[in-house]
Amino acid sequence: MAVMGDFKQKFSGLLNKLGNQSRLSLSSPSEEVLKPISNEGFVSTPSKEDVKPPEEPAEILSDDEILESVEKEYFKELDFDPSRHELKKIGETLICDEILSHSERLHRQQKVVSKKVLSQILTNQRACNEEFERIQNLQSILRETLSICRDGRSKLNTGKQQLTTTSLGILANYRKRQLLRGILHSLNTIKTLQRSEEHIQVLLSESRYEDAISELLECQSAATSLKRFACVAALSGKLVDTLVMTEEQLDVALGKICEKFDETLYGQLQAAYALLGKTQAAMDQLHMHFTSAIQNTALKVIKSFVGKSESVVATSGKQYNELCKKVKEENFIPCLQELCSSLWRIVCSHHRVALWHQKHTVDKGTNKGADLEVSFTNEYIRQKLESMQARIWQDVQARFSTYLFSTDLASFKFDNFLQVLGFVHRLMEVGEEFCGSQSEELQKSVRLQSENYFAKYHAGCLEELRIFLENESWTHCPVKSDFTCLQLQEFRSLRGVIQNIGLHEQQKLQQSPDSSNQSQDSNSVAGGYFSRFSESGTPFDLANFDLQEEDILANISDEASGYFSDDSDEEVPEELKGDFVDEGHGDPSVHTSQVAVRFENCGRVRFEQKKVTRSKGRSSLPKGPLLTNTTLTVLRHCGKYLQMSRLLRTVAMDVIICLSQLFQYYLYAVHAFFTTDLAVSQPNLYSVKLQAALKRINAELIRPEKQPSAMVQINQDDKKKVPQPHISPIVNINDPESLFGLSERVVAVESLVFLADQLDSIRPYLEHLVRHEPRKHYIQQFYLQMVSVASDLRLPVYACISGRALDLRTMLNMMARVNWEIKEVSSQHSPYVDSVLRDMQIFSMRLEEAASHLFISKDVHNTLWEALVIVCCSTFVEGFSNAKKCATGGRALMQLDFTQFISKLEKLTTLRPIPHKEYVELYVKAYYIPEEQLEKWIREHTQYSSKHLQTLIQCACQNNKKTRQRLSGVIEEMERLGLIK
Amino acid sequence: MSESYDYLFKFLVIGSAGAGKSCILHQFIESKFKDNSSHTIGVEFGSKIVKVGGKSVKLQIWDTAGQERFRSVTRSYYRGAAGALLVYDITSRDSFNALSNWLRDARSLAGPNIVILLVGNKKDLDAKREVTFLEASKFAQENELIFLESSAKTGENVEESFLKCSKTILSKIETGELDPERIGSGIQYGDLKHLQTNNTARRQPDCVCRPL
Repeated sequence: MAVMGDFKQKFSGLLNKLGNQSRLSLSSPSEEVLKPISNEGFVSTPSKEDVKPPEEPAEILSDDEILESVEKEYFKELDFDPSRHELKKIGETLICDEILSHSERLHRQQKVVSKKVLSQILTNQRACNEEFERIQNLQSILRETLSICRDGRSKLNTGKQQLTTTSLGILANYRKRQLLRGILHSLNTIKTLQRSEEHIQVLLSESRYEDAISELLECQSAATSLKRFACVAALSGKLVDTLVMTEEQLDVALGKICEKFDETLYGQLQAAYALLGKTQAAMDQLHMHFTSAIQNTALKVIKSFVGKSESVVATSGKQYNELCKKVKEENFIPCLQELCSSLWRIVCSHHRVALWHQKHTVDKGTNKGADLEVSFTNEYIRQKLESMQARIWQDVQARFSTYLFSTDLASFKFDNFLQVLGFVHRLMEVGEEFCGSQSEELQKSVRLQSENYFAKYHAGCLEELRIFLENESWTHCPVKSDFTCLQLQEFRSLRGVIQNIGLHEQQKLQQSPDSSNQSQDSNSVAGGYFSRFSESGTPFDLANFDLQEEDILANISDEASGYFSDDSDEEVPEELKGDFVDEGHGDPSVHTSQVAVRFENCGRVRFEQKKVTRSKGRSSLPKGPLLTNTTLTVLRHCGKYLQMSRLLRTVAMDVIICLSQLFQYYLYAVHAFFTTDLAVSQPNLYSVKLQAALKRINAELIRPEKQPSAMVQINQDDKKKVPQPHISPIVNINDPESLFGLSERVVAVESLVFLADQLDSIRPYLEHLVRHEPRKHYIQQFYLQMVSVASDLRLPVYACISGRALDLRTMLNMMARVNWEIKEVSSQHSPYVDSVLRDMQIFSMRLEEAASHLFISKDVHNTLWEALVIVCCSTFVEGFSNAKKCATGGRALMQLDFTQFISKLEKLTTLRPIPHKEYVELYVKAYYIPEEQLEKWIREHTQYSSKHLQTLIQCACQNNKKTRQRLSGVIEEMERLGLIK
Repeated sequence: MSESYDYLFKFLVIGSAGAGKSCILHQFIESKFKDNSSHTIGVEFGSKIVKVGGKSVKLQIWDTAGQERFRSVTRSYYRGAAGALLVYDITSRDSFNALSNWLRDARSLAGPNIVILLVGNKKDLDAKREVTFLEASKFAQENELIFLESSAKTGENVEESFLKCSKTILSKIETGELDPERIGSGIQYGDLKHLQTNNTARRQPDCVCRPL
């Protein structure tokens, strides 16, 4: 620097000298200035030496002029070579002076320039320094900026590098993770799939079919979605197997439903099948199962019983039909019961299946009714079930019938046969309830068997009845006063029904006549069998048979025991007996009601007793209905018959016809036994109906008596008839002391009347049993023609006693001895009247005596007297008609005699009015009728015989032969026409 | 319809109420014990054909009520009985004590020739026995009765009693001690014997109740 300083000072001095020049260079840029300076410094150093000398000479000239004189060429180019330039100017001829001058000038120039430059440098140095400083500042700022830039860039770079790479990595990883997760899920699913197999088994074993199937189906769909895995292919194959197997299990379970319906199980099954979309197929399958269940069950039951009775084990190969025949007779009924029960269980299961569907269809209907598919399926199920029902019942019937008819029922005892019928009946009822079937097939075959059986049985009964009748002593069989046939054991199962029907009929009469009889079915058990036995038990259990009877009996107290008890007579309170004594004397209705009240207190009320208790008892005799051992037998048979008809409606009519035959035979026997000694054949003793009835019975029921030789050939028609009954030899009806078997006759006739009463009481039931109108007609006829005539038999039978108690022959003889030709009116009656009245007195006494050991009702009492009076009156007419000749006095005597008779008679009997009084009076008074009116009278009074009438006209027309002959002709004509006897 | 048989015997079953008469009959005919039987009312009837000594005999058995109040009804059936089962209950002394009355009734009403078999029923209830076998045998011996103990429940000796009684009657016929043709003997010829004796087949007396 020091050097520089020195140089500067020198250079500035120079510049000062060359001031102009330096001013010029100021305009040039600094770099350029510097450069040439440096250059010029180096280069011009030698040249300065050269130039300065020229400048000297030019000292005289100012600095500026010198500067001006510097050639332009110096400033033109940078790489200007002043030396060369100057050298060129020297011409060929070298003139020293000129060269010197020139050099001088050049020196001067150089000096000026240098001076100028120096001054310039001096003036500009500070600016230069400042500038330099600024440059340096700028430089440092630039340097700083650079570093910031560089730093930023590197940071940017890092940032860039770091951000992009990591996130991509993350993304990549995430994606990977997702994939792995998917795989894991799939793997888990596969694992579950594998496990689900086991789980399904568990579900199946727990019978949770719905869950099992839904799981299976889930698994399957899962397997399908996982098809891309190789292992799943095998697994899904296995799943298919499982499904098949499960369906089999479902099928088995469905089969079990047939045997025992389980609601939850069935619900499960149905849901499972619904899931499988096989609801309809399931129904078909179910039908198949039911069919096979019926077959298998029936076979099993039979086998079990055959196995019991036969040690032979080789029963397996045999057919059902053959097996049925192998069941031994003593096992028949238990086996039948078992068969019924087993079949019942199946039928019941089906019923509950149907119920289940009904219930669930309704549910669906309310929830999503518009679903066409569902409604279609429902409809299918409904139809299927319906057709199934009919088929099942067909099958059941077939099995049952096959078994039933594999045995000959004819050899069965009646009770057992009834039991069998009971099963049949119950089965038919079940069938009706099950599918409204009338079980025609079964009914038809049973009907045939029953008819055969019953015909045989009835023949036996009639034969037995004959034995009873022929051994009957006609002794009163003591029973309770309120006895009715319903108390008999044979009526036990009918009791409730008959009484209900009786009430029903009464109500019907009170209300409307068209209420249905149908509803009064004997077994209209509330709720039906299916609701009663749906859970446990069967309607075929023996206990349930009993139970049912008890149910029916629920509304009436069980009086059977009272009837059968040893001391039933003693049960009647003493005061009650006292009541009977008054009975009949006072107002009967009052007493009867009293009695009824008393009986109510005793706990038993019978409407029938009203009839029975209307007595004129004068002793403390038991006032029970008069009936005999045979009556009871008939009633017992009736009970059995009715049981049979109740159980098999189709034979009801045959049974009722047979029942009527029992009564008819009894009626016939009573008549045959006790009217053989009828003294006077009096048409007015027999009612028209009674005559017709007896005639019919004789023609239809009684086998004509034949000679022993002709016994060999009895025609087919007669085989069904019963031999004529004969009264037991121990019955004595000839003893006048006992009034010619009065008590036997009374017991016989009254027991018949009682029997008729009992039949009356069951009439509504009989009519109920027979629904077919024309057949009902038979019942009406029977009651009208047979039952109602029972009491008509009293008169002829009791007239026998009367006829024998009175000595009619003596009376007639005495009457013949009376002189009727007297003219004047007598004041004294004839002696025969006294004779007759004496007889009657004896009769009255004996009757009293008989009544002391036999209860004789007022009806009977009256009838006995009536018969007596009738016989008497007939004898009067007969006696009067024996008088061929008669005068008015005689006619008056007749009247007198008869009036005397009547007046005395009225003291003997309480019977009012005296019957048949007119019969005698009219006859006697006909004598007074004018001849012209006599014909009319004769024609109107056909109750007299032709003999009576002939004598009448003989007496009346004593003096007019012509009239007599004419009237005689009329009488003969009437006789010919059968109008009179 | 009617079965063939050589003889028809009329039989009686008598004895106190509750001795088991009806059950014996039921067991004999149906081969079953009648469980819930009630008192007999009046008389009941049963018949069965048995084979005795090569002959078929139809037994017409009248099962009478034991209760006193039916006595008048039942008495009428005694007449003309060929055999009788006199039943008492071995668990009831009262029924045994009443035997002599029953026996008297039977002999007087049915006739002295009636064959009577004494039956001690309810043999199955031996624990409740009140009448010893020995005691009853003695009574039977004294009264010339055949004696058996039976059980209607188990069926023991039921058929035997009827058979034994029938056999005795049959042998009496063969020895001539009994005459089947006598009216009221309680014996009738059946179809098989009919041809030989058809004049007596109808036992019905003609003397009774003909019209005047």
